[in-house]
Amino acid sequence: MHEDLFLLQNASFRFPEDAKNTLNGVSFSVRQGEKLVISGPSGSGKSTLLYLLNRLYPANCDGIVGGEIRLFGKQADEYMPGEINHRVATVFQDPDSQFCMPTVEEELAFTLENLHIPRIAMEGRIAEVLELTGLSALRHSIIQSLSSGMKQRVATACALAMKPEVLLLDEPLSHLDPFTAQQFIIWLDGLQKKAGLTVIAVEHRLDLWDAFFDRELSMGRSGRITADELFQPKNPVLFPERVSAVESSTALAVDQVSVEIKNKKLLSSLSFEAKRGEVLVIAGPNGSGKSTLLKALCGIYKRSSGTIQSSGIGYVPQSPEFLFLAQTVEKELAFSGTSSPSEVAELLDRLALVQLKDAHPFSVSHGQKRRVAIGAMLADNHPVLLMDEPTSGQDSAALQELFALIHERVQEGLTFLIVTHDMEFAAAVADSVLLIKDGKMTGKFSASEVWGDEQLLASHQLLPPKGADRYAGSFA
Amino acid sequence: MQDLLHEMNPSIKFVLVTGSMLTLAFFFDPWTPAIFWLAIVLMQLFLSRVNWKLWCLMMLPFTLGSFGYLWTTLVFGADDTSEILWTFAGISVTEEQWKHALSLSFRVMALSTLSLLFALTTDPVKFVMSLMQQLKLPPKLAYSVMVSYQFLPVLKDEFIQIQQAQRLRGVLVEKHWWQRLLNLRRLLLPMLAGAVRKAERAAFAMEARGFTGAARTEFFRPVTVTRTDLFMAILFSSVLVGSCAAGIVLSN
Repeated sequence: MHEDLFLLQNASFRFPEDAKNTLNGVSFSVRQGEKLVISGPSGSGKSTLLYLLNRLYPANCDGIVGGEIRLFGKQADEYMPGEINHRVATVFQDPDSQFCMPTVEEELAFTLENLHIPRIAMEGRIAEVLELTGLSALRHSIIQSLSSGMKQRVATACALAMKPEVLLLDEPLSHLDPFTAQQFIIWLDGLQKKAGLTVIAVEHRLDLWDAFFDRELSMGRSGRITADELFQPKNPVLFPERVSAVESSTALAVDQVSVEIKNKKLLSSLSFEAKRGEVLVIAGPNGSGKSTLLKALCGIYKRSSGTIQSSGIGYVPQSPEFLFLAQTVEKELAFSGTSSPSEVAELLDRLALVQLKDAHPFSVSHGQKRRVAIGAMLADNHPVLLMDEPTSGQDSAALQELFALIHERVQEGLTFLIVTHDMEFAAAVADSVLLIKDGKMTGKFSASEVWGDEQLLASHQLLPPKGADRYAGSFA
Repeated sequence: MQDLLHEMNPSIKFVLVTGSMLTLAFFFDPWTPAIFWLAIVLMQLFLSRVNWKLWCLMMLPFTLGSFGYLWTTLVFGADDTSEILWTFAGISVTEEQWKHALSLSFRVMALSTLSLLFALTTDPVKFVMSLMQQLKLPPKLAYSVMVSYQFLPVLKDEFIQIQQAQRLRGVLVEKHWWQRLLNLRRLLLPMLAGAVRKAERAAFAMEARGFTGAARTEFFRPVTVTRTDLFMAILFSSVLVGSCAAGIVLSN
């Protein structure tokens, strides 16, 4: 017999500081063994909905709940703090801030101690969950030394250690690269079948999940459910086709560049060129030296040999706010004093930042922060822009915005070097691809030839972009 | 033998060290801190596996400070009527002044050595766990310390990244430390913004795993009080009482 685990009827939710409800008239029920995904754009309240199911809300934000929420047949507000978490476990999105203990074993023990499991039983539970998740070898590893993908597996293992009936996933892939994400999903699928869990996930990149889910709940901007239907495998985000803006003059010439830090050779003699208006994607496995290359090009790292010729190289880190120094967007662009006030005004106009010019750079959205960072680099007279992982953790709207931003800038003769793991994005935006492995350059390839070469991509831990034929074709 | 200080229960060690420090504060003769200091160095020498290179490096500023205390007390100490021991370059040093100066500098040495003994032989994780188990520190506090400890390397990385990024924007590395200190706020703003986000995420993750801040009834690795601790407590107390007694006898 199937029972409703969760039952929501006309549920609404409002943060005390907001005038409008974040969730409105939400009604649905979840049965045992279901694999449900909640999708929707950022700000549609999907994470809020998830937090109502594990009781993090309303207690943590003094939110105002309306309607009826029944968890395991009992009114949600009748649960004691922490009581529901034995039955509903959660994995969050950021692999770096989910842990409080140094080793995997201690982290698992922390979870079990919270549940007041007798000490004699803990050893067995820890061994059992490590066996189930295939992490036995990592038992004594230091969590902070593991890769992001492994951290997410450890977080899942901690959740499963509680022997929950329901597993909630809050955008668990957003900090993983596609290759690692795919491995994680395969692993999770096996786990779900073994443990017979009910899974409820919040996710905006559904294309990575293939056919994992069996039901999809779509949320709209107003915090309402817009559709509740069978899950269909999704296509990746589609970007408009773009015409290359590559010009004939060279913007960046790199010759025999090597980087050695503390007697460790991080990069060995890389040579390549980039033209004006070119978008060059740099790809390769984690730790292969992609970020090192960017930092060497813009001068953060000293190169031990080789030459770099360019009219000015700017750098946009993964968190653009790392660059910010001034109190307003306008002053941020004018900080170095390289550009005249009229040039700054023109830049603000070109980057659609005029309305934000008096805003504090920290208070604008992530996409706007990146525009400010690019603006600052252009104001400092750096027509070659290096971007480190700009796609990580972005939803499809943000990726479209980034795509448009890059596409417009190259028309003005800028050159982009982009480090990214997102091959769909890379395929849409790149004119050429630089593959790096173990600090050595495999080569600079034109985009059309690289996407079809599955073997070459696999040897760099990359997946061919979905719909590769389309991209290969459009360049031919 | 050399593991004794490392294996000791961290809470007991903490109580003994704090107790010794407070007791020393009531002795103003030069002998008590001097003898106590020597005894602590000997204890570290025989009962621990301290990295002595690191030890010397850490002691360097304290030694300089202690020397500073010595000569400032000699030069600027209040005049008194006791016998003048010697005069040099117009400065005469009386017996009282000499005693005060020695007492002060030995105290600096004793306290810093004692702190180092604790710091270099105690595993921070075990210390927090033990505080929770033996001294009933509320889990809410204990685990917030643990989380911050986990975040330290991440914050250090971020600090370096922000510094590198801002240098690209044309922020010069200032020559003087006070200028660098003033510019620190530029680095701190992005870091704080990130830290607030991280702290909330960590809190959610812990709560979602059933952490309520309530006292725990079970520990996976109980930190125990053993016979070693009794032995070490007796040793510490006798060293303390011994040096106090010797100090009183010798200064009369």
